[in-house]
Amino acid sequence: MNLIEISPLQLLLCLVFVLIAGTGSVIFRLNLEKDLAWGTVRTFAQLFLVGYVLKYIFQINNPYLILILFVWMVFWAAHAIRGRVKEKEVAYFVPTFISMVASYTTVSILVTAAIVQVKPWYTPQYFIPLGGMIVGNSMNAVTIALERLFSDLRKQRARIELALCLGATYQEATTTILRDVVKAGMIPSINALMTVGLVSLPGMMTGQILAGSDPMTAIKYQIIVMLMIVAATAIGSLIVVHVVRRRCFTRAHQLSI
Amino acid sequence: MRLEIKNLSLRYGTKKPLFEGVNLTVDSGDFVLIHGPSGSGKSSFLRLPSRLQEPASGEILLDGRSVRRRDVTELRRTVGYVQQTPEMAGGAVRSNLTLSFTFRAAREKRLPDENMLRTLLDDFLLQDVDLDDDAETLSMGQKQRIALIRTLLSEPRFLLCDEPTSALDPESKSVVETWLERLALEQNIGIVKVTHLDFRPERIRARRYRLDGGLQEVCG
Repeated sequence: MNLIEISPLQLLLCLVFVLIAGTGSVIFRLNLEKDLAWGTVRTFAQLFLVGYVLKYIFQINNPYLILILFVWMVFWAAHAIRGRVKEKEVAYFVPTFISMVASYTTVSILVTAAIVQVKPWYTPQYFIPLGGMIVGNSMNAVTIALERLFSDLRKQRARIELALCLGATYQEATTTILRDVVKAGMIPSINALMTVGLVSLPGMMTGQILAGSDPMTAIKYQIIVMLMIVAATAIGSLIVVHVVRRRCFTRAHQLSI
Repeated sequence: MRLEIKNLSLRYGTKKPLFEGVNLTVDSGDFVLIHGPSGSGKSSFLRLPSRLQEPASGEILLDGRSVRRRDVTELRRTVGYVQQTPEMAGGAVRSNLTLSFTFRAAREKRLPDENMLRTLLDDFLLQDVDLDDDAETLSMGQKQRIALIRTLLSEPRFLLCDEPTSALDPESKSVVETWLERLALEQNIGIVKVTHLDFRPERIRARRYRLDGGLQEVCG
């Protein structure tokens, strides 16, 4: 490992970059100085906080604490989804959150225990970053899938009711919608599989290389990460969409949105 | 079979009710016509017996048993409802006609064969329509008839249709109306049809009602 430790002085030197951006903002009257300053403060504060929390959790190495941290991360992902989907009529936050916790925890444990074979599986150095990547990446798929689900159910109301009139269950009446919705959510992560390494070098891989890993080790981890993200995306959005669809119908199979 | 509607009312939100105190009994083979001013809730009224939506109050019984206590997919096959604007399910005419057979509720029913579908199209003056045609490309009048045949194929015991002839030329209109009369007379299906005042069935005695805040029987 030939990792260069960054001193506080070097870190402060980074502020030059913000000053450059800020000067640009002043010269071209972009009016972004305030946001830049606040953003910089938040970056320092949030990352230092996370750093200390992670350091503490790594030292304690307690599976319950690690799982609580993971659930906390999923909670904020679900919160971000709620902010982006903007659906008022359907109470989908709790089912989305629970489905995400269930599917992401399963995939994360599978990756650490069965693929990377870390012992114990909850070793935070592996579980937290790998799980974090799952949450961060699949969150977009869930957002896209939920947005599409609500808009398709509304747009295709007449067609859904036609099927219901002819004796379909709500599941039968929405089979095609569900398929399209999950597909739409999956497309970005499938595209990422196609372009990885060609268009950009993934952040995790570059991070590992910067930290002194052999590029071949880094790419092996990256392959695991890419594939686990696809799996988590598929499982996560399938479960979320199924559970949330239930909330859009009454017990008498009436479309309620 | 008997469909009983008792003291039914419907309102949207906190507005005043569209109608209230509606009572109506339809037996197998009955022919019931409903008319009323636009916005009086005729279309919404037809959606209630098959539970596409719920009334604000009142009760609907099928053979003495509340529709709320029946399996809803079976109920909707028994009490057929034809939407005012015919909706096509995408795909060919054939798959539209046989749509109801793709659902679990019809798993024991026999899929109608090609000849039967062809004959039905001919009966409804749809000789120009091919079973492989894209259903979305049909005219409104053709779609209305396809929608009606599609519901008939699911063998309902009651048929509630919302202005099923509004987009038809006089000849097709008369064919559809004769068919509806035959369904009541020969197959003992109870028909409830939302329609205009001028419709006069030829072979069957129809009961007429006006829906306007409440439901009143109209003589003649």
